[in-house]
Amino acid sequence: MPRKSSLLVVDDESSVLLTLRLILEKEGYDVITAASCSEALGLLGNGGQFDAVITDLNMEREDIGLEVARAAQQVRPKPVVMIITGFASMDNSRAALELGVDYMAHKPMETPVLLAALHRLLAKRSEPGGRV
Amino acid sequence: MIAKAAAAQPARMALVVHPVMGVLSSFQSALTAQGFVTIVARDLPTALLAITQHYFDVALVSVALAEGGDGWPLAGVLHLVFPQAFVAIVSPTEPDVLTLQAAINYGVREIYEQTKPAREVVNSIVAQLKPGTSAGKSNVQ
Repeated sequence: MPRKSSLLVVDDESSVLLTLRLILEKEGYDVITAASCSEALGLLGNGGQFDAVITDLNMEREDIGLEVARAAQQVRPKPVVMIITGFASMDNSRAALELGVDYMAHKPMETPVLLAALHRLLAKRSEPGGRV
Repeated sequence: MIAKAAAAQPARMALVVHPVMGVLSSFQSALTAQGFVTIVARDLPTALLAITQHYFDVALVSVALAEGGDGWPLAGVLHLVFPQAFVAIVSPTEPDVLTLQAAINYGVREIYEQTKPAREVVNSIVAQLKPGTSAGKSNVQ
């Protein structure tokens, strides 16, 4: 039986976190949630292995989700890194591009679009020698 | 019989896709000067043909081929087919938030403004291809 992909979902809005968790679990993923950047950094720093990290940008402070993305990029094997934000700007979008973030979505987002991107990136990651 | 200790390094391949011949020519000259074997294409069918026949290390794609924005999906295809390649978009306008988002989502590493001289664009690409640079590094110039 194939292993379920594990996802770390980070958002400081409990309603968003719960909604994403329900949607993603329904899709068959193992979902771990973090309600802040510091909690997510703790999970990533303590050897947490995730196939994908999906993070909000504005939590404890503006654009702090980029710290989650940066930490996720250091993990090996590198997880898929996705940002979901309602406050995209030139600065944070440019920073996300420079970090090599795999996907960036603006809220409100279409769930099927997000899921399609996630499925595609995870499939690519799981290819032999796959790199997102 | 003595075997050769090391095989010669294969030439690096670059693909440039742009509808304007003058732009193609300037990028081809700049890339060739940096040691790339450069394939040029003015349209999508020619670019797709080139993708089936070569393995590219670098791809430079105009944001608009037959119509505005149709360079993005081609860049996305190049990223999927050649995941190690440096894929960049050439745009006539300054990037905005949506352009940056498109770059991220299509796996594009750089957005270059078309006003930037071809030699500078190629130098920037070569600098980022050199060993020791971050594989994930991306910029908008």
